[in-house]
Amino acid sequence: MTPFQIVAISALAIVAAFTIRAVARKRITPAAGAFWLFVWISGAIAIGWPAVTVAVARALGIARGADLVSYLSILAMLVGFFLLNVRVRRIEAQITQIVRELALRNPDDRAGADG
Amino acid sequence: MTAARPAAGSAATSLPAIASKGVSVVVAAFREEQTIAETVRSLRRLGLDVIVVDDGSEDETGRIARQEGATVLTHIVNRGQGAALQTGVRFALARGAAYIVTFDADGQHQSEDVAGILAPLLRGESDVTLGSRFLRPNEVPWFRRVVLKTGIVFTRLASGIRVTDTHNGLRGFTRRAAATIDIRLDRMAHASEILDQIARSGLRWVEVPVEISYTDYSRSKGQSSLGGLRVVWDFLMGRWLR
Repeated sequence: MTPFQIVAISALAIVAAFTIRAVARKRITPAAGAFWLFVWISGAIAIGWPAVTVAVARALGIARGADLVSYLSILAMLVGFFLLNVRVRRIEAQITQIVRELALRNPDDRAGADG
Repeated sequence: MTAARPAAGSAATSLPAIASKGVSVVVAAFREEQTIAETVRSLRRLGLDVIVVDDGSEDETGRIARQEGATVLTHIVNRGQGAALQTGVRFALARGAAYIVTFDADGQHQSEDVAGILAPLLRGESDVTLGSRFLRPNEVPWFRRVVLKTGIVFTRLASGIRVTDTHNGLRGFTRRAAATIDIRLDRMAHASEILDQIARSGLRWVEVPVEISYTDYSRSKGQSSLGGLRVVWDFLMGRWLR
């Protein structure tokens, strides 16, 4: 193994340990924990045993393992951007709802407080 | 055919007569301490009920508006003009308003135009009145004109509504129309959203000419022309992600 592979796989192993601890402490759901463990383990395999990604890439009709990793990364980022966008919009809408309800419950609130 | 345009927009009905008909004017204001006093005063002079939604201003906007006789609702943090208008409209409806007018806080609108906005509603000819700066000679800065005209084309394509002005904050609604329209886009895209909802809900609408006065202040407060891109983005995301 190259020094980079050792460092990267060690880092992923630590992150995986944190993920397991987060599930154990119920900070994330088991489903979310399983998803992230899958991501970390896939990353470790891709880095430590590139031949595996080459084999998977060829099975999918992609010439190089590195290309497969690139495509999957781009896809994951786009999906992540979309999901994040949806979540942010939902949170923004909820904030507006709270701010509105507060405003409607206290008409003239600031003026009254000021004077 | 639910749409009719352009309307005479006459101020045939006098404002004192209108004021007795349960009209609430909703003004969304964010950091408008320089102009809010005159805006509220000009509307109050006509005997109109004024609701100012102070949208998280850190300055004296809310206090000044209250001093001038407006009912002030306070957003504790800034949520955008669309959110503020929706808050004001909900409050006006809860208070029993028969007609609701939206009016900008930055001094661009003329209170005298409110009569023209309300006239078609009072005559029962429309459910919504939209102010248009392009129905009478109006000095619109050329770049602004280009941006607004692009907005008109976009609105026609996106919503199929053939208006002559898209981002004009001076509008009037009957109670039923105001209750039908639910502004969900918090920021500037609400103007496109309102038109979209009018088109989809089959509300009768009419445009009337109104005057917009461009001052250095109002230009500095208005959205940048590049902000138009964000409006398009927000509008499309709002439609697709609903």
